[in-house]
Amino acid sequence: MITRNLKKPQRIRAKKTWQIMSVMIILLFGMMVFSVSWGTMQVPWKDTLGIIVGHIPLIGLDFPDISAEYQAVVWQIRVPRVLVGVLVGAALSISGAVMQGVFGNPLADPGIIGVSSGAAFGAVVAISLGLTSISMFMTPIFALLGAIIAVSLTVFLSMSRGKIPVMTLLLSGVAVSMLMGAFTSAILTLLDENRAREYLFWMVGGLDYRRWEHVYLAAGPILIGVVILCLLARHLNILALGEQEAKSVGVPVVALRMLLLFVAALTTAMAVCVSGTIGFVGLIVPHIMRMMVGPEHRWLLPSSALAGALFLVFCDTIGRMIIPPNEIRVGIMTALMGAPYFLYLLRKAQQNGEAL
Amino acid sequence: MTQEVITVCNSSIAIGDKKIVKNINFTIGAGEFVGIIGPNGAGKSTLLRSLRGFLPLAEGEIQLQGHSITVMSDKELACKVAYMQQEVNVGFGYTGLEVVLAGRYPYLKWWQHEQAEDIEIAYKYMGFTGVDSLAEKPVQSMSGGEKQRVLLAKVLAQETPILFLDEPTASLDVIYQEEIFRYCQLIAKQGKTVLIVAHDLKLAAKFCSRLILLADGGIVADGAPEGVITEGNLQEAYGLHAAVFKNKVTGNLDIHTYVPAIDKQSKETRVHVICGGGSGAKIIRLLYEHSYSLTVGVLDPSDTDAHIAEAFQVPCVLSQPFSIIDKLAAQENRTQIAQADWVVLSNLACGEQNIDNLHAAFEAKKLIIIEDTPIEERDFVKGQGIEIYYKLLKIPQVTVMTSMEFIEKFYL
Repeated sequence: MITRNLKKPQRIRAKKTWQIMSVMIILLFGMMVFSVSWGTMQVPWKDTLGIIVGHIPLIGLDFPDISAEYQAVVWQIRVPRVLVGVLVGAALSISGAVMQGVFGNPLADPGIIGVSSGAAFGAVVAISLGLTSISMFMTPIFALLGAIIAVSLTVFLSMSRGKIPVMTLLLSGVAVSMLMGAFTSAILTLLDENRAREYLFWMVGGLDYRRWEHVYLAAGPILIGVVILCLLARHLNILALGEQEAKSVGVPVVALRMLLLFVAALTTAMAVCVSGTIGFVGLIVPHIMRMMVGPEHRWLLPSSALAGALFLVFCDTIGRMIIPPNEIRVGIMTALMGAPYFLYLLRKAQQNGEAL
Repeated sequence: MTQEVITVCNSSIAIGDKKIVKNINFTIGAGEFVGIIGPNGAGKSTLLRSLRGFLPLAEGEIQLQGHSITVMSDKELACKVAYMQQEVNVGFGYTGLEVVLAGRYPYLKWWQHEQAEDIEIAYKYMGFTGVDSLAEKPVQSMSGGEKQRVLLAKVLAQETPILFLDEPTASLDVIYQEEIFRYCQLIAKQGKTVLIVAHDLKLAAKFCSRLILLADGGIVADGAPEGVITEGNLQEAYGLHAAVFKNKVTGNLDIHTYVPAIDKQSKETRVHVICGGGSGAKIIRLLYEHSYSLTVGVLDPSDTDAHIAEAFQVPCVLSQPFSIIDKLAAQENRTQIAQADWVVLSNLACGEQNIDNLHAAFEAKKLIIIEDTPIEERDFVKGQGIEIYYKLLKIPQVTVMTSMEFIEKFYL
């Protein structure tokens, strides 16, 4: 009897988290169907479902009465777009949550160690060299390379005597970001107008014109990244208590921190390279989820991934709905919705006299 | 000697090029509760950190239960030693239970989650430190005392034979400070070895079974509290002037610290204080701290003033307990008074037992009479005291002042 009582609070919390996650899964699925159906060409949701189910292998159901036009728009244009949104949202959120845990700072995000600026630099290099005309994958691949170089540089600069002090890491992250930013700006000033526009288009992250190729490119690495991060969640819990605390219970702090940083950075970089830079998701989603499910990373990481996917698809859909047929790019939408909410949280925390 | 749990051999610790701790040797057995004390910058925390392997040794060797710490893995060390650091900031709203469960980390394989057994262990130690009701409360919103008890439960949940605590009571209220020490004492009684870095000497002396006094990176003294906390050792380690005595009220070792007035003249000046019933306490303390050569008398052995004289090791003429001052004491008192350059008569009450003190005061070369309350209120021998007192006031070498005026004289 006693032991059962002891475990009760844990169980209640786990149950609550499961409930939240189930609701989010249902919402996400609903959102995806809605997002696919809605647009200049309105597709009835039954047809949308039909087309999606029709494409699931092994089921082999066919709905011949759905028009070929609908088929093309839904399957070739909208479904990949939504899937990229799901992947990118999940990747950015889970990486944000991990970074915050690693740095012990709720304001950290992958950008802080140079991922975004490195990716932007890579992209601008690809564009300036005119490589985009060779293959549409050139920009993403260069962005990925740029991000890896920037993160490695940051970690290398802050490493001393087998240790990575958090403060030095943050500072060298800032320095590397500025350096990358300077290179990017320098190249930009030399670009002609068309290429500069192309860069700007990539820079303001968006999900338009994302195709199945993008899904194939990003799905593997992002899913692997998410799984690895979720598996390391219990270790991250200890690390988030502070370096000294972690060391004193036998956590290999430096190795774990490096592993987490690189997996999170690569996951983010994959997201950035298929969608451009999308701000605020990695900051705000983990923050909200921490309030809902608590700081325990075994629950926080998967639920952040889900919530990030939901948030990004939601923002993209809203962005498409506001001034049709034009659309507001998702990178702008996340900042537009995220920034005011974040300020609201900040104010509220201030009024309650809490530190954020 | 019980089994040696911690052995430190010729160890030196350097941070950068600077040697913080030099050539230290000691062994600690199971069940000992050792307090590491010393002034700021003496290397207390540095020593503790390197005992746990957080700081490499520049020279020497440290063994825990017979194994050199350099050959042990992170997890092996974590199974032997639990370490509670000075200031822990638990962010993100982790709950008490989540923090305590961190103590189970060394026992889990990397893919494992905490088992039911681990949660039971966590609750057991939270119960021990009285925080089981705080299991679901975020540590951020706990009071300082609650937080430290949760952290103590965490290091206990590590179930190690050795515990290191680095100033766990800094920033705590007095009650919580004692409480942490009391828990540690209890843990040590269960056979574990506890090392605590403490800055409160009195608490350390009260609870620890052994003290190691560090100063300037070396050991000044090592042993039972009574042997370590002495005037000489404190002077050497802290450069502190202190009177160490057994507090009659608490029975604990007590320390009175002061800044000595360095005045050659006062050292050669002999002063005798006639007092009783606590009326001389302030005067004795003040004159002692100003390095006068003091004598006190005549006092009943149970008098507060007698205890104070004892604490400061001031020669004191004592009467027989609860008796009228006998001839011998009266004679000695007069000798002291005659030798004194000046005599202070405190605001004492006159009874049959000590009326001779007033008679003796006539022998003073120079007499300062402290008068805070009129003699009429202090006379308990039917006017006899009043009579002598007024006679005293009339002799030429007398100065009368209140105790406030007396004290002020020393600080102007």
